[in-house]
Amino acid sequence: MRRRRPEPFTVISAVVALVLVAFVLVPVISMVVEAGAGFLGQALRQNDVRRSLWLTGSSALIATGLVFACGVPLAYLLARRRFPGKGLVEGLIDLPIVFPHTAAGIALLTVYGRDGVLGRLLAPLGLTFTDSVAGIVVAMMFVSLPYLVDTAREAFALVDPRYEHVARTLGSSPAGAFFRVSLPQAWRGVLAGALLMWGRGISEFGAVVILAYNPKIIPVLVFERFEGFGLHSALPPAVLIMIVAFVVFVVLRAFLVPRRRGTRREDDR
Amino acid sequence: MIGLDGLRVRGGRFVVGPVDLHLAAGDYCGLVGPSGAGKTLLLEAVAGIRSPVAGQVLVEGQDLTGTPPEKRGVGLVFQDGLLFPHLTVAGNVRYGLRRRAVASLDGLVRDLGVEELMERSPGSLSGGERQRVALARALAPGPRVLLLDEPLSAVDGEAREELREMLQRVTRRRGVTVLHVTHDVGEMFSLANTCAVLVDGGLRQVGTPSEVLRRPVDEDVARLFGARNVLRVARPPQGDGRTVLLEGGSPVRVGEPVHAAEALVVVRPEDVTLVLSGRAAGGGGAEGGASEPNLLKGRIERVVSHGGHSLVRVMVPPAIEVSVPSREVGRLELETGAEVELRFSPEMVWVLPAQG
Repeated sequence: MRRRRPEPFTVISAVVALVLVAFVLVPVISMVVEAGAGFLGQALRQNDVRRSLWLTGSSALIATGLVFACGVPLAYLLARRRFPGKGLVEGLIDLPIVFPHTAAGIALLTVYGRDGVLGRLLAPLGLTFTDSVAGIVVAMMFVSLPYLVDTAREAFALVDPRYEHVARTLGSSPAGAFFRVSLPQAWRGVLAGALLMWGRGISEFGAVVILAYNPKIIPVLVFERFEGFGLHSALPPAVLIMIVAFVVFVVLRAFLVPRRRGTRREDDR
Repeated sequence: MIGLDGLRVRGGRFVVGPVDLHLAAGDYCGLVGPSGAGKTLLLEAVAGIRSPVAGQVLVEGQDLTGTPPEKRGVGLVFQDGLLFPHLTVAGNVRYGLRRRAVASLDGLVRDLGVEELMERSPGSLSGGERQRVALARALAPGPRVLLLDEPLSAVDGEAREELREMLQRVTRRRGVTVLHVTHDVGEMFSLANTCAVLVDGGLRQVGTPSEVLRRPVDEDVARLFGARNVLRVARPPQGDGRTVLLEGGSPVRVGEPVHAAEALVVVRPEDVTLVLSGRAAGGGGAEGGASEPNLLKGRIERVVSHGGHSLVRVMVPPAIEVSVPSREVGRLELETGAEVELRFSPEMVWVLPAQG
């Protein structure tokens, strides 16, 4: 059987798409090549890199967990309910996406800094945000929460609310319908949002560097090494964080995030 | 058993009601209306999913208007079944049951023929199977009222017929009161003993299906129930009030005296007999009544086949449609332009007040 020749439109689309893929791929490959063989071992042998890697991943994880606890209920409400000021809330949640992150750091400093409202309030309890892990977490939360909330909202919106109506008539309370019917159907999307948020968190620089320069997360360490010692010193931590992010993303997405419901490809038929 | 007292429900700018509807225990009520009439809104209010803006929902005399859905004892089945996709069929059917009550499911799953499906996932079921499982899931907790929102419309052919029979059998056996939303009048006739007609958010008529068919309260209800000939009366009735002059000049005898100055005359296509050169072709109206039948002459304007029967439009004037078995259309060579005679009994003519 003869295969059909691809349509010119498909060919043009593929070529244009390849340009974009190359745009992402070439710098990544170039960085790895530049780092040279053995860069991974070299990077992991450096104490500050190991500490920084652990700090970056764990801070982003804590930030994601905290936003998850409040963001999932918010995402559900945004997907299901109409309420006064809903548009405003949606706009506010998305604000960090368009906010320059150094400006976000300044804004956070006015609240969580030593002279900020919460900074002063929480200092007697031993919780300080400037140059502390708490500050890193707050900065990561602020800039990356839209990724979790928006993705989770979309996931809940894809679940027909009538499933919950049926569950209610079968004896479930609103919370029961959420946990037994909506969340099990939306969890992959919610988890994808959490993953995106974590990924955005580990790459944050601008807000963190203003609020908590120390202890150093990987982006700050890369910046500091580049400024102080040049490109070759900055490469090992840079390549390391890229590999960690890549592996986590690829593995988790493959297992957790199937193709979106409702989307069809030409060759699905 | 179930009573709706002055119930008003809002969906955006659209308001349904006030609706007053009372059903006895075990009644099977077909809630019929065209698309957009507000049937589903009303059903949601009875289920407790939507709060009414006024009125009451009573079940066994108990006011449930402010009661949440999970405490109403009401089962709900949607058109597309809406089985929980993350659970197996067994998980779906058992969803509303406490652990100890699972053993009582045997009879229900047998009656609905879902025994063999219990370990399957909802995605692997056919449309008819899905609806049977949805029905089992809704009935499993033993609801007092079953609400069905177009439960047969996503199922075709034999599966639809099978599901209809199961629905009838299972609901009767369990004595559950049913409110079944449909826009399919035939479906309602085959299942319901009570019919409620909702048009443009208003409950127009409640009665037995045959009452609504034979005695529609207005033109909308008449047309919804397939009365294609709703004819305007040109002049108030004379003499004994039983003869009216239709627009177009044709006189028609009616079964009961007409008192309204402005009225509409309803003649169902299947109640008219079409005669060509002395041969009867269709309908049974001419022989149906004791009094002298109406005889009108006209010319065929068009013949439209609907499978087993055809609708023949005859210009008298006015234009009157007659239902004729399709095999007769061929046998009698009913063609456009042919001159024919229409016969129908005065008892088969229903008079309505003209709508504003």
